[in-house]
Amino acid sequence: MTRLAGGLIDRSQTLDFTFDGKSFKGHPGDTLASALLANGMRLVGRSFKYHRPRGVFAAGSEEPNAMVELRTGAWREPNTRATMVELFDGLEASSQNRLGSLRHDLLAVNDLFAPFFAAGFYYKTFMWPKAFWERLYEPMIRRAAGLGSLSMQPDPDTYDKGFLHCDLLVIGGGAAGLAAALTAARAGASVILADEDFRLGGRLNGESHSLDDMPATGWINSLEAEFASLPNLRIMRRTTVFGAFDHGIYGAVERVSDHLAAPGAGVRQTLWRITARRTVLAAGATERHVPFANNDRPGIMLAGAMRTFANRFASCPADRVAIFTNNDDGHRTALDLSAKGIEIAGVIDTRDGAKVFGSYPLFAGAAVTNARGRLGLKAIDVTVDGRTQTLRCGALGVSGGWNPNVHLASHHRGRPCWDNGLQAFLPGEDLPAGMIVAGAAKGEGTTHSALNSGASAALQALADLGLSASRPRLPQAEDAPTNLKPFWHVAGKGRAWVDFQNDVTVKDIKLAHLENMRPVEHLKRWTTLGMATDQGKTANVTALAVMAELTGKSIAETGTTIFRPPYTGVSLGVLGGGDTGKNFRPSRLTPTHQWASANGAVFTEAGQWMRAQYFPRVGETTWRETVDREVLATRSGVGICDVTTLGKVDVQGTDAAEFLDRIYANKMASLIPGRVRYGLMLREDGFAYDDGTCARLGEDHYVVTTTTAQAGPVYRHMEFARQCLWPELDVQLISTTDAWAQLAVAGPNSRRLLERIVDEFDLSNPAFPFMACAETTVCNGLRARIFRISFSGELAYELAVPARYGNALMERLIEIGADLGATPYGTEALGVMRIEKGHAAGNEINGQTTAQMLGLARMVAKGKDAIGAVMSRREGLAGDSRVLVGLQPVDPAEPVVPGSHLFSPGAAQTTANDLGWVTSACHSPNLRSSIGLGFLAGGGERMGEEIIAANPLQNQSVRLRVVSQHFVDPEGGRLRD
Amino acid sequence: MTDLIPISALGSREPAKLQHGVLTIAENPDLGLASLALRRGDCAPDLGVKLPGPGGWVSGEGIGAFWIGPDQWMIEGQGRASADFLHQVSRLAPGCSVTEQTDAFVDFEITSQEGGAPVRALMEKLVNIDTAAFGPGRATRTRLEHMSVFIIRRAEDRLAVMGMRSLAGSLWHALQTAARRLNHE
Repeated sequence: MTRLAGGLIDRSQTLDFTFDGKSFKGHPGDTLASALLANGMRLVGRSFKYHRPRGVFAAGSEEPNAMVELRTGAWREPNTRATMVELFDGLEASSQNRLGSLRHDLLAVNDLFAPFFAAGFYYKTFMWPKAFWERLYEPMIRRAAGLGSLSMQPDPDTYDKGFLHCDLLVIGGGAAGLAAALTAARAGASVILADEDFRLGGRLNGESHSLDDMPATGWINSLEAEFASLPNLRIMRRTTVFGAFDHGIYGAVERVSDHLAAPGAGVRQTLWRITARRTVLAAGATERHVPFANNDRPGIMLAGAMRTFANRFASCPADRVAIFTNNDDGHRTALDLSAKGIEIAGVIDTRDGAKVFGSYPLFAGAAVTNARGRLGLKAIDVTVDGRTQTLRCGALGVSGGWNPNVHLASHHRGRPCWDNGLQAFLPGEDLPAGMIVAGAAKGEGTTHSALNSGASAALQALADLGLSASRPRLPQAEDAPTNLKPFWHVAGKGRAWVDFQNDVTVKDIKLAHLENMRPVEHLKRWTTLGMATDQGKTANVTALAVMAELTGKSIAETGTTIFRPPYTGVSLGVLGGGDTGKNFRPSRLTPTHQWASANGAVFTEAGQWMRAQYFPRVGETTWRETVDREVLATRSGVGICDVTTLGKVDVQGTDAAEFLDRIYANKMASLIPGRVRYGLMLREDGFAYDDGTCARLGEDHYVVTTTTAQAGPVYRHMEFARQCLWPELDVQLISTTDAWAQLAVAGPNSRRLLERIVDEFDLSNPAFPFMACAETTVCNGLRARIFRISFSGELAYELAVPARYGNALMERLIEIGADLGATPYGTEALGVMRIEKGHAAGNEINGQTTAQMLGLARMVAKGKDAIGAVMSRREGLAGDSRVLVGLQPVDPAEPVVPGSHLFSPGAAQTTANDLGWVTSACHSPNLRSSIGLGFLAGGGERMGEEIIAANPLQNQSVRLRVVSQHFVDPEGGRLRD
Repeated sequence: MTDLIPISALGSREPAKLQHGVLTIAENPDLGLASLALRRGDCAPDLGVKLPGPGGWVSGEGIGAFWIGPDQWMIEGQGRASADFLHQVSRLAPGCSVTEQTDAFVDFEITSQEGGAPVRALMEKLVNIDTAAFGPGRATRTRLEHMSVFIIRRAEDRLAVMGMRSLAGSLWHALQTAARRLNHE
């Protein structure tokens, strides 16, 4: 029976759980690890490389061995540390990385071939033949040397995120962290105390000694009562602070419902971004072990963990145990276990003259030289003065001293420093800004010093912030030194494990040394030490010490690797921190979205926007049929399209005209109020940036429109120019894109249609000619803006009304324009008509083309300066002979494929002969063939010539005729009416 | 009066409203908005409220204002969305650059029945703002689920979230999800 008396478990309730399909019982307060131990389960997993039988080794997040697959189906999560899983009723766990059963893993054969799997094995073995790597070696290795397996189903859980701000963040809820939080919270500072455990107290929970003559748990309980009364203190249990980032920002994952059978409607985990003015790192320390032959047998664990399992979880792996130690702390485990009725087979102490603290057999100046029992420890060999005896025991606690948890102190590349007195790496001087380390994390590990260190750290942090605080009265606590004498590994023939999870032994480190992989970074990569999911929390320092011994250097000279976030594994789901699928990113809907949706529109994504692509009608079998109809209806009657997505920037100020003259390549100051001009913006480097219309509504009031894609960047560019380039100009900018629903009304019947809705506004050619604009009202007094501009090449208008009326306006126009052939059209028809008209769009203004290439060289006005004007005249750009041309297949049945490159007939299709490329193409229902636009070297002189469009990806080669880019109405008679 | 029937930013005739626990989220389609920017060197006009400094929001008789940039404010007219709010503001601020913004934004008003704590808890899930330093009268532009929004603390128990009108659906989803989760629904 390995369930002991006492402990912080609730025996009034029983929880049923299964491991590898077998049923067990535990209690609230148990972890999966403690419950398995209490049920006599020492064997819980298999090792990574050799498939060696393994058991629980630690009691916290540093656990290297006890990794399980938790839950089933889509909820299955591999590589879960059993020591961190809070037991719940109905928990289902299974062992992983085995072929066959856990007791009879067929891949344990790997262990027989161990000599072949030494350090650098992969680098040496799988080099040849190269082609075998992907097809054979990698899949084979992944199968044999894996960890848990994924469910291969979408993650069914939801995750959340949030933001917190505080004066002081305390990381770790042990003695130091509790004292720090108490000190700061009593002073009125806003404090967050985060701990990865579900119970506050840290190591205090695992110890038997008292605080002020009462059990530590009593003190913690009284603190919790006070904490509950302090609104400025936020306690975050089950919350791992995994990284220190810039400017006092810490990443933390709260396991909101991992301790429940099912999260229900709640979230599984929350990613918190904590901005702290000051931080106390009280992350405690991790015990280190002492490698000896076969030290990975199930039942061998850290002595401190064994004490925690006994005191806190009332469980023990066996009823007869031994302790192997180089310090007094190991003896504590013997005393605590003995007090719980466990038989102590002996304490093996490496120190000569070690003293006994109670009634148990002591082997001073001794070492454990071997362990027996393949699936669970049966006995150990103890060697004293060259004589070896076998000691029967079912578990062994190992204590080699404690390593401060300096991880977060290293996240800004701070390098830990070796302290020879403490025989440990301590946080260096170069901590993340605002961080103070306290307690065992800085080597102050007795309860007394941890409590005081925590309070001092809080006082210092608050003083830095100008807040006054006083030191609370802290309870009297033990302050005994551990009297550690360094002892890093037991020399001998057998394999002695240093890194359990990645199966790295002392022999591997010796081999790395022989092969000259001696610097710590090389050692790590050559042996894979510390590179498993536990990041070598129980292995790194021991490995450095072994390497130091081999090189004859001190540990300080050997150096150490440092740490990056995350402190422990973080699921990608919680890093994503929110919605998936449709709501993964926000989407923008146009003002006529409801109408379009109700009228069967097919939508397409244009950046964040959802735009109507086309409006299929009953009987239409292909999208082409629909688009052809929309184009023909527009060119023969009237078409209506929502163009709200184009950016609209309101420009006002006495210098608005001057400002726009500098922003646009062409002149805008000369535009008279009530008129619109097509404008071209260049980048600083002289390439074309964006185009659109610019309307002058008043003497000092313009509205600039941008392309949909560039609405944000152009606005930003204009703001940059206003604030940074010419702050002396009186000009004010603001985006109004969403304020107005803007509809293009295009086609020969567009005027007749608009005449039906405007309120006493003269739309006739003389009163409102091509490129006119006005503010007026429509539909009985609704304020509106009308622009006579055309992207389709037809007589056309754009009409803007407050966005909330856009949907009703669309409905109205279609309804009252039925006799005029009013037809909604989407982005496809819009694209077809602009290609037919030869207008450039994003495919042509793609950041690699110039005004000259676009045939707009004359727009770069000579009489003024503007952004990019000078650079556009530089030799390399001005000399480019490629210009925009129209392209039509010689055989009308052939397609024009965008992206194809252009070559002279007969020329080899090589880069040297490349004459340009096809930018846009569509089927033109007017020309009844495919047509395209493209940039062609010397294009102006090639009118009528044949050219080859090569599309090597699809083995296509099409003969095209070079024509004018204006396929429809080249003279522009239609739009001018 | 036009006979066109407007729709809300979420696409329906009636403004959206929902309750999760003690929190109510209501779309406020009646808020008139106009941005106001001073011409170079000009003094702030008298709108009946003193235009606030950076991070501030003020409200007076039917009119409110919050700071959106140097010499720039957003002027609020409660219940004046269907009026020509632009011209109302322009008349009070002659010589200023005033731009219509009523339909550029959707305004969601969040109210708590139990004081400020639920509002702060909701903010913690939505925006990276120190709630302790964001009491009544504070306003800022920030990011919420990849969207740019204005946040105004109108009172301990009231928060306004204004986002781009075209993003109303996504913003509503984000607010609703956060409120629902706070209520453990």
